[in-house]
Amino acid sequence: MDLLTSLKISSSGLTANKKRMAAISSNIANAQTTRTAEGGAYQPKEVVFGSEPVKESFSEILSGEMDDNAQTVIAKEVTNSKKPPILKYEPNHPDANAEGYVAYPNINTMEEMANMIEASRAYEANINAMNTAKSMAMKDLEIGRN
Amino acid sequence: MNIDDKTTQALAASLKYRKMRLELNASNIANAETPGYKAKKIDFEEALARALDTDEQQTLKTADSKHFNVGGGGFNNLQPEIYEESNGIVSPDGNTVDRDAELAEMAENKIMYDASVQLLNKKLGLMKYVVGSDR
Repeated sequence: MDLLTSLKISSSGLTANKKRMAAISSNIANAQTTRTAEGGAYQPKEVVFGSEPVKESFSEILSGEMDDNAQTVIAKEVTNSKKPPILKYEPNHPDANAEGYVAYPNINTMEEMANMIEASRAYEANINAMNTAKSMAMKDLEIGRN
Repeated sequence: MNIDDKTTQALAASLKYRKMRLELNASNIANAETPGYKAKKIDFEEALARALDTDEQQTLKTADSKHFNVGGGGFNNLQPEIYEESNGIVSPDGNTVDRDAELAEMAENKIMYDASVQLLNKKLGLMKYVVGSDR
């Protein structure tokens, strides 16, 4: 348990939010994609966050000194959104079905932009926590130096 | 003057628990969007005040070293309270982290940490002065 634990926790926050950013930009980029490798329209991606105890050194785990009060965050899984695709009547589109409807991914760009701002703020907050841990660690070195 | 007196011990305890608080702040901020995560808080000020026994009311005096130390308990068995925030804002996914409040608490915690380090340095400076005053 030291300030490095705080750094570990904050860096897990950075990683998780980067994964979220990747999902969001993938959704925005593929807002009009009607053809994918899996077949059908692009499925919007959603990142699910989960918390996990900080991974300490092996000896600490063995001696049961882990304390699970402070938790890191991980992007548990990237799932396909359950939103059904939007059908648009475009009979001349190459991906139109027999009735002339094309399945477009159900992506609201505004919603994705709002999520992006949220992810960016979360990222900044984690950076802030990291800087605080760093400057407190530096302050430690000043003890007795006068 | 003792090197390991009440002041030094209290400052050391303060540094220790402020580090712990930072860890919880970092954890809360990292998990600000984890469904079901409950914000964690640490309350050590009260335990520290009890150990310092500033008003000399709370400690039961002991007449023998084998007696249990009731009340103050000294700095060695400080028991800070770590609890889950239950009456904060609860978002629909069950998360209770208020990110802005965490950032504010973290800033305050850092200032108090720096103050503790400064006080510790003053204390050490005082001792240095005493040691060197002969020359």
